[in-house]
Amino acid sequence: MLLDSLFARRLVVLTGKGGVGKSVVGASLALAARERGKRVLLVEVATPLEASRRLGGPPSHGRAVEVQPGLHALNLDPQGVMDEYVRHVVPIDLVARRILASPIYRRFFAAAPGLKELMVLGKIMVLEEARRRLSREPLYDLIVVDAPATGHGLAYLKVPLAASRAIPVGPIGHNARRILQLLRDPARTALVVVAAPEEMAVVEAVELFHAAEAEVDVVPQAVVLNGCHERRFSEAEEAEVLRLAKSEADGELQPGVPFPAAVRAARRQIRRRRLTRFYRDRLARTLDTPLVSLPFLFRETLGRDELRTLAGVLEAA
Amino acid sequence: MAPRRSPSARLETALAERHVLVACGSGGVGKTTTAAALALRAALAGRRVLVCTIDPSRRLATSLGKGSLSGRPRAIELKTMAPAQGGALYAMVLDVKGTFDALVLRHTQDAAARDRILKNRFYQQVSAALAGSHEYMAMEKLLELTKDDRFDLIVLDTPPTRHALDFLEAPDRLLGFLDVSVLRFFLRPYFKAGRLTVQVATRTGAVLLKLADRFMGLQFLQELSEFFLAFEGMYDGFRARAAEVQALLRSPSTGFVLVAGPQAPVLEEALYFHRRLLEKQMSFVGFVVNRVHTDPARERAARGATRARVAPGLAAKLTLTLREQQVLARVERQAIARLEVDTRERPVLVPELEQDVHDLRGLAAFAELVFPRGREEARAAGGSR
Repeated sequence: MLLDSLFARRLVVLTGKGGVGKSVVGASLALAARERGKRVLLVEVATPLEASRRLGGPPSHGRAVEVQPGLHALNLDPQGVMDEYVRHVVPIDLVARRILASPIYRRFFAAAPGLKELMVLGKIMVLEEARRRLSREPLYDLIVVDAPATGHGLAYLKVPLAASRAIPVGPIGHNARRILQLLRDPARTALVVVAAPEEMAVVEAVELFHAAEAEVDVVPQAVVLNGCHERRFSEAEEAEVLRLAKSEADGELQPGVPFPAAVRAARRQIRRRRLTRFYRDRLARTLDTPLVSLPFLFRETLGRDELRTLAGVLEAA
Repeated sequence: MAPRRSPSARLETALAERHVLVACGSGGVGKTTTAAALALRAALAGRRVLVCTIDPSRRLATSLGKGSLSGRPRAIELKTMAPAQGGALYAMVLDVKGTFDALVLRHTQDAAARDRILKNRFYQQVSAALAGSHEYMAMEKLLELTKDDRFDLIVLDTPPTRHALDFLEAPDRLLGFLDVSVLRFFLRPYFKAGRLTVQVATRTGAVLLKLADRFMGLQFLQELSEFFLAFEGMYDGFRARAAEVQALLRSPSTGFVLVAGPQAPVLEEALYFHRRLLEKQMSFVGFVVNRVHTDPARERAARGATRARVAPGLAAKLTLTLREQQVLARVERQAIARLEVDTRERPVLVPELEQDVHDLRGLAAFAELVFPRGREEARAAGGSR
């Protein structure tokens, strides 16, 4: 249901505090969209742990790679995007090359405020507009963007706004305004806030949610609560576990499974699932928006199988 | 090799002796909480401590309980926690824009030049957003605070960056950007003539200029040139200040605490940061790895007499629950072991907390985990873990 609404857009942009598992949520969403038969592009920005690797594909090297039929992953390198832009606007190859090699250009790009962000968002806009040659259908049905968590979660989204104000005329200002339009258009773009069931992450998610509306004029369409622990033991069993934890009982549940350790583990599980419920309730009370929970996965690695599991949970939400 | 003191003891010594501690790490690893807990620990031990965070979402305020923090140090009430004689805790958040403005004021001689910068639209839009400005201003503020004799120890929480290393490298980038000796060469003629002239030093410069005009427009370019020209007189002051900051960061009275989580990619980042710190000859104090999931079967328990009896259904669930947590603990242990091998350092491991930290009591409880009483001695005596 939630996916019906999200996947009706062209762009799903994820935001949230660092460490909440945004990239895993992004890859799961992309996978879920592919399962529905959509042509999907998953965009990340200069991340060392690429989704394409998680999904078993080759590294992206700044180009979209098809990691599974219909599912493409692109790890954007802002400098690469900027270079590409320069080559695009400077038709004479020799001149373009000279600019690209110039130290002024390098230094300017390294620190110019918002330029990296603007270039990355501009590239995403271009990808959104890309059409197939003959059919004129969109090259990608859906683009999932894992926006980097540098600084404030909104830093990225604020850039086009600041740029459109600072640069009133010329193509850069014009493009900044077009990017802003795309981000603000609820028919084309859905902003999704990712959180985890922890105090700081929830506080930040709520702030992010309100700030997106107040400062960028974009209303987030959903909150994904990642890493949830759900009820495993019935009420009676939980009471039993808590009673056993106080007892002196010893021995093994089965060979190699010490009983006291298992009870300790169960107590932890109970505590975590209570925290999950506490924070989920708080989010539900505070924010008037669809809320989806993804389970915490106790696995060695988060690879294709795990992402498919999460995609299934999203699909059922 | 240095004697194998316990990592907590080394951190404790740093809290007692250093003047500045910088907490670094990638986003979401509990850096702010760690910084606040270390500061509280030192304050309770009798030092006058300031904890400063760079925090657009005011997380420090959350973990220090209540009230809002501002750009000025504010005393935190510690009475109920019985600090040692003289101990006090102050907290503040970095006001990036305010610090930048203050910096401009300090480095400009005449009012006209000052107004030119402060009223410049480019400056207004970007001074808080300039790449590296958070990091640069954090260091600028730090320098100022070290001269404030109200504080014996300053604990600096660093901006949440994707890559922890950005903190050390951002100031160089910002200086590179403001280095008008490079930039003016294509912006200055613009400003002087008010339109594109042919008096540009090189052909590349001319092409860049033409491009800039086409893509950003004359008005913006003028604002931009004004900004750089206004900064021209300040650049030397900036650079001198930056050199002072570098000296402060390299000083033996400054130490770096690297905060991480137990996940392999986060630890890799910490490892890389550690290497760079050593290369830059900055003083590494220790790793703190937060939210470590311990293996329930490895924790000591009193051996009871009775044999456990539970229903088969519950037994199966208990077994599954234990197995899951053991997998997680094993994965994390392996990742931490790699860090230990690569750095020859033992990190302080902070187990996942029973409760989230959102007040002073929580911070104190967190500090207890960083500096466990008695456990370290037992560990040292046992010789192994």
